[in-house]
Amino acid sequence: MRRLQPIPPDRLVELDFEGTRVPAREGEPVAVALIAAGHEVLARSVKYHRPRGPFCLAAACSQCLMRVDGTPNLYSCRVPARAGMRLERQNSYPSARVDVFNAIDWLFPGGLDHHAMFAGVPVAERVMAKVARHLAGLGLLPEALPPVRAPPELLETEVALVGGGAAGLAAAETLAAKGVPFVLLEREEALGGRWRTGAPEPAPPATLTLPRGTGTVRLLTTALGVYIDARGRFLAAIASPPEGPRLLLVRSARFLFAPGGQVGLLPFENNDLPGVLSGRAVSDLVRRRGILPADSPVLVGHGPELPALAGLLEDSGAHPALVVDTSPEPFPEAVAGQLVKAHGRTRVQAATVERRSGGRRKVDCDAVVVSVPTSPSYELARHAGARVSFRADLGTFAVEADGEGRTRAAGVFVAGDVLGAGTAAEAAESGRRAGAALAGEVRP
Amino acid sequence: MSKALLCPCEDVTLDDVEAAIGKGYRDVESIKRYTGFGTGICQGKSCLTAVAQVLARTPGVSPSAVLPFTPRPPMQPTELSVLATLAVDESEAPSGGVPLSAGESSAALRPAGHVPGRASVVIIGGGVMGLALAHNLAKRGCTDVVVLEKGYLCAGASGRNGGGVRMQWGTAANIELAKRSVELMKQFAGEMGINIWLRQGGYLFLAKSRAIAERLEKNARLHNKHAVRTEILTPGAARKLVPQLTMKHVVLAAFHPEDGVIFPWPFLWGYAQAAQKRGVRVETFTQVVGLQTSGGVVSAVQTDRGPIACETVVVAAGAWSPAVARLAGVTLPNEPHRHEILSTEPLKPFLGPLVSVLDSGLYFSQSMRGEIVGGMGDPKEPAALEQGSTLRFLARFSRALTEQVPVLGRVKVLRQWAGCYDVTPDNNPILGRTPGLANLLHMSGFVGHGFMMAPAVAERMAEWMVTGNSDDLFTRFSLERFRSGKLEREDMIIG
Repeated sequence: MRRLQPIPPDRLVELDFEGTRVPAREGEPVAVALIAAGHEVLARSVKYHRPRGPFCLAAACSQCLMRVDGTPNLYSCRVPARAGMRLERQNSYPSARVDVFNAIDWLFPGGLDHHAMFAGVPVAERVMAKVARHLAGLGLLPEALPPVRAPPELLETEVALVGGGAAGLAAAETLAAKGVPFVLLEREEALGGRWRTGAPEPAPPATLTLPRGTGTVRLLTTALGVYIDARGRFLAAIASPPEGPRLLLVRSARFLFAPGGQVGLLPFENNDLPGVLSGRAVSDLVRRRGILPADSPVLVGHGPELPALAGLLEDSGAHPALVVDTSPEPFPEAVAGQLVKAHGRTRVQAATVERRSGGRRKVDCDAVVVSVPTSPSYELARHAGARVSFRADLGTFAVEADGEGRTRAAGVFVAGDVLGAGTAAEAAESGRRAGAALAGEVRP
Repeated sequence: MSKALLCPCEDVTLDDVEAAIGKGYRDVESIKRYTGFGTGICQGKSCLTAVAQVLARTPGVSPSAVLPFTPRPPMQPTELSVLATLAVDESEAPSGGVPLSAGESSAALRPAGHVPGRASVVIIGGGVMGLALAHNLAKRGCTDVVVLEKGYLCAGASGRNGGGVRMQWGTAANIELAKRSVELMKQFAGEMGINIWLRQGGYLFLAKSRAIAERLEKNARLHNKHAVRTEILTPGAARKLVPQLTMKHVVLAAFHPEDGVIFPWPFLWGYAQAAQKRGVRVETFTQVVGLQTSGGVVSAVQTDRGPIACETVVVAAGAWSPAVARLAGVTLPNEPHRHEILSTEPLKPFLGPLVSVLDSGLYFSQSMRGEIVGGMGDPKEPAALEQGSTLRFLARFSRALTEQVPVLGRVKVLRQWAGCYDVTPDNNPILGRTPGLANLLHMSGFVGHGFMMAPAVAERMAEWMVTGNSDDLFTRFSLERFRSGKLEREDMIIG
C-alpha cells in the first residue's frame, strides 16, 4: 500500500487514530488515509470478532465501520478527513489488533448456531443470554447530541434520475437535448461513475456532456428510497454537504434509475480478511485517490473488468502475483481456476489457488482483489413497483424491462448495469435509449 | 479460523446458508430470517447475490423461485435527527406504502403436488397462533392437522412485530393469559430446542396526560391483585431506569420488571418443527381460495393446490381473517390497520426496558442484537391490508423518539417495515365457534398483541378442542358477543 504521489503540504492534515497520528489528504475518506498509512484492521466483526478492513469503499459492506468524533458505526470510507478527527475502532477488547473475543472464532471453527446453542440447558441458557447481550451490538451510544439539522429541500421536476454514471449521464444528455427538465442525483462528488474511477475499458463510451439549463445535478446525494403519499410517488434522498446531512425530496411523474450495481464477493475461506479488496475499490484507490493498494496482489474473478484491472495495476507499477479467472472461458493471461483460501492472521499474506487443470498452489501476495460483475442495485426500481428476477445467465438479480428500459411500473425506467452488469459503453447506450423513450413520453 | 463469509455484516458463513437450505428454508426471505444474512448495516448489498447463487444451484430449486428479499427503505443508514426534520400534516391520513406491488404471484414458490385430500383439522394461517395451536393439538394426540400458510413462515404479523411481551394489561383475562405465556416462553427453548432470547428488562409505560396516568394507576392496582408487581413511578424514579430519557411532558410512569422482549421468528420455527415431528403438515406458499359449506358446517377447504375435506376449520389468519371468513359467508368485525416499525444500527446494550408513551403509541426497545426496534401508531391510519412503508412514519417516529431520548438523534435507521394489526371493536380477540357454522373456529382479532398471547391461548384452545371441556375464554371472547353486546374493552393497547 503506497501513495503514488505524496500529499501536497497545503492539503496535509493529521488524524487521531486511537492516539496515533495518521497523515491524510484533507477531504479524502478517512478509511483511505488509514490504509495508505498501513493501518488495515479498522474493525472487528460482530459475532466472531474477525479482523476487518475496507473491502468495497462504497458504503455497501460493513468492514470499515468506525466511531468518528464520538459517533458510532460510520462508514469510514465515506467520512472526509479533517484535521484532528478522532477515529476509534469498535467491538473489540482490549484492542482491535489483539481482540480476546476472537477466541469465539477459534472455539467454533464450524460456526456458532445461535438457534440451538444451549437451548433448554437450564443454567447455561440464562448465562448465555446475559453473555450474548453484552457481546452483541456494535458501537457505544453517541457521545453528543446531533447539531440542529437543516429542513428538507423539495424539488419538482419532469424526470427524477438516480445515478450519474455512464447510463445516467447518457440519459441526462438525451433528456437535455430534448429540453426535458430533470433532477439527477449522484452520490459521489463528481459525475462519471466507473467511467471515471473504474478500470479503463478497451472501448469506453464517447465523452458525454451535460448542457446547462435543462437539468439540475445534485452531487453527494444518496437516494434513500421511493415513497408514495396522497400526492403520488417521490424520491427521498440525503444530501451530504460539508455543513451536514439534509433530506431532499424530489417529486416527479417519471423516474429513471441508473444506480449501477454493488460489488460482489466470492465465497472462499477468509474472504473477509483485511487486504481482500473489491476490484472497484482498487481501481478507485488507484485512479481517484492516487494510492496503489498492493505491489503483488492475486486477482480473482471473471468478466471484462478483471483483465482491465490487471492492466491498470501493471500500468501503475504493481506486479500481480497471479490472475485467476473463474469463468469457463478465461482470458489468455489468466490461470483458469478458483481461489480456495486467503491466508494471514490480520492481513492477507498468501492465497491458495486451485487450477482447473488440477493441483493447488499457495501464492505469496500482499492483497487479494476480487473482481466479479456487479449485482444490480434494484432497490429503487423495486420500491416503485418494477419486477426483479434472478438471471441464471448472469448469476444475479436484475430489473425486468423492455429494450427502452421501461419497467412494468408506469413511468419507471431503468438503464445501465441495473439491468445486468455490462460495459460502460453498453450502459451509455441503454441510458440513451431510456432517455429517448422518456422524452417521448413527456413530449409526445 | 477459516470461514467463508457470505454476509460479513452478520458473520453468516457459506456453511450457515447451506445448513439452512438443508433444513428446508428454501426461499430467500426464510434463509434471511433463519441465518440473519442481510439484516446488518449493508442490508443485503454485499450478500444477497452470493446467497441467491447458493440457493440457485441447490437441486430442485428453479431460478424463478429465487426471488430477492423485499428491499426495505432507507437504502443507506440514515440519522433519526435528519428524518425528524420532515414536517408531517397530522390532520391528513397516511396513504400508500412501498415497495409498491410488482404484481408478483405466489406461483413461483408454490410447492409442486397436491395438499392432503383429507384432514381432521385445517388451520388457516401459519402465524404464531396457527402453529402454536397445531403444536398443542399434536401434543394432545390430534396429529391429523394441516396448517395452510400463503407465504413463508413469518411473512405476516408474527414475523413483523417488535417482540414485546408484557403482563401489564387492563383486564383480568388478558393479564392471566400473558402470565401463562411468559411461563411457557421460559420453557420454550427446553421443549423445542430453539432459542427465543427472552430478555426480561421490563416494560416502562409513560403517561403524558392525567387521563392516561389514571389509567396506568387503575391498571397497576388490578395487576397487583393478580400478583403482577407493577410499580407506579414518578418521572424522576423512572429516569433511574433509563437515564437517557428526558421525560418531557411525562407526568407518571408504570413499570413491571418481568415484562420483556423476545425474538419472534424462532417461535414459529420451533412450533412448526415440533408439530411436524408429530405428523402435522405445514403447507407454506399455499393459498386458501374457498371454503365449501353444507348443512351448517364447512366441509372442505379449497386451496390453490387442491381441496382438503375436513372436520374442523380454524381461522387464524390475523388481519386476513375477515377475508378468509368471508369465503364461508361469515362476517367478522375485525379490521386490518397498518402499524409501521423500524430498526436501527446495533449498539452495545444501554436500554433495559421496553419504553412506551401510551399517549402517542410510541414504543421502543433494544433487541438482543443491540438494535433499537420501535414503532408508533398513527391515529389517522385507515383500515386496509397495507403493509408498505412511508416516509411519514420515519418522520413521526424520529421526532417522538428523539423528544424522549435526544442522544438517539445521532443513531441511524437501517430499515423500516410494517405489519397489520387485526383490530376488533373492543380490542379483544375472537375465539371459539361461529354461530350457524358449527365447525368453523376463530382465533383472531389480537390487535397487534397476539404474539405474546399465542402460547397461552393456543394451549387453552387445543385443550378445549380436544377434550370438549368448557372454558370461559371461548364464551367471553366469542364472535357471538358482538351480537349480544357484552363487550369488555381492553384499554392497554399501544398505538
